[in-house]
Amino acid sequence: MKITNRIKKLLLAAAVIAVPLSAKVNEDVAVPYVAFPIKMGKGFDVVQAQCLTCHSFGYMINQGPQSRTFWKEKVEKMIVHFKADMITEKDAEIITDYFFEQYGNGKLK
Amino acid sequence: MERRSFIKTALSAAGAAALGSTGLNAATTRQPVDNRKISEVAFPEKRPMITYSDRPPLLESTRDVFAYPITPNDQFFVRWHMPDIPTRIDPETYTIHINGLVEKELHITLDQLKNDFEQVEVTAVLQCGGNSRSAFQPVAGGIQWGNGAMGCAKWKGVRLSDLLDKAGLKKEAAWIGFNGQDNAAYYKTPNFVRELHLDELDDHVIVAYEMNGEDLPYLNGYPIRLVIPGYYSDSWVKMLSNITVTDKYKSLFFMDVAYRVPDNECECETPEKRAKKTKPITKMNVKSVIGYPTQDSIVTHNSHLVVRGVAFDSGQGIREVLISLDEGKTWDQAILDDGSAGRYAFRTFRYSFKPTKYGKMKIMSKAINKLGEEQPFAKDIQWNHGGYKYNGIDEVMVEVV
Repeated sequence: MKITNRIKKLLLAAAVIAVPLSAKVNEDVAVPYVAFPIKMGKGFDVVQAQCLTCHSFGYMINQGPQSRTFWKEKVEKMIVHFKADMITEKDAEIITDYFFEQYGNGKLK
Repeated sequence: MERRSFIKTALSAAGAAALGSTGLNAATTRQPVDNRKISEVAFPEKRPMITYSDRPPLLESTRDVFAYPITPNDQFFVRWHMPDIPTRIDPETYTIHINGLVEKELHITLDQLKNDFEQVEVTAVLQCGGNSRSAFQPVAGGIQWGNGAMGCAKWKGVRLSDLLDKAGLKKEAAWIGFNGQDNAAYYKTPNFVRELHLDELDDHVIVAYEMNGEDLPYLNGYPIRLVIPGYYSDSWVKMLSNITVTDKYKSLFFMDVAYRVPDNECECETPEKRAKKTKPITKMNVKSVIGYPTQDSIVTHNSHLVVRGVAFDSGQGIREVLISLDEGKTWDQAILDDGSAGRYAFRTFRYSFKPTKYGKMKIMSKAINKLGEEQPFAKDIQWNHGGYKYNGIDEVMVEVV
């Protein structure tokens, strides 16, 4: 009895392994969360509230050190092209300053 | 005389200051960042990879995979634009729609795609237009990829032209739009739609469902993606669900603003004087990457070392790959594989020698295609704001012990 159970279990395991990839994808796919080491600083709360809606911290901090103009244009791109028009002018300024302070290259332009 | 030389000195000092302030001539293109750490987190169907973002997923392959002609599915790079990718796909009901200026609209299931059309295969390189972006100085905007936003796979699917033939193109048909299933978090954000002119599409363009003999990995566009051999990957739409035929070009963000380079001879510009006219990145330029040995690795003195790597271009074909061990002063021919994987595939090369000097040694590779186009030195590659199309002569530094 015990042995049959074990065989059953083994067969079951084999069946699970043999399931083709397509059926596997038919289950919910879970993309993992990655905790990117983003720097804390003035304006971070606004960045968290506004930017994280659409993309990860990783996407932001892996752009390399950039000028203030670069970060300003990035925020503008989100508003103009990606239609994130819930970002107010004031918040855009705060976000730009945060990125220039934490991920800036020291150059205004 | 004294006065003249003083003026000369003063002038060149002013010149240096001016150069310093532009920040462009002072900084030249260098080798892309190498040896980035792989993440501890593995994404679905992938081994742990270099991870830039989880939402949308952005994963890079490590250099060592480029010692081989085919990039394994579980190490193949990933680049999505939109954060919301469907988490469940039903292969029984998944349908691809062909509509617009066609005689008959088509709704094709995966099963029909695999059974009702001629099945074809093509081995082709998939490379992000921003691959190696971290080489550009000043830092170009975008993810700072090393060399691993590329890979080569054997794709299986159906010719796009066969699908369009079955639907029947109307006379006015000129543009084909491709849309995938990924969505933005915010409903007003434009979809990642690509448009290609009919003239750009030949029989090599396929609608693929298989990659290296397996279903496409979820993160590489399961269940169907567009494969456009020779072209940068921005047009290889993933989770393809809609093909729409139109007579007019529709203005789209991802066509009109992103993935473009200056429309001039050198495809270059400066941060201060950006090119007004731009063009899409389209076809890939000639490039080689060394897969073995890797950066900062150790090789044994007097051992029989075989340098291995891959070379490719837009499909003209690789004529030769040259190796230099003396900073590019002299070059020696590497042995190429037989090329049987086809002109869109990685062409592997190998170069045997015995390192006879102890200490640091630089190995460089340069590919030349059949048109005679060759990779420039990294320092000679001029800047573009998006950091696209880097194809500098590859370098790895190893230590002989």
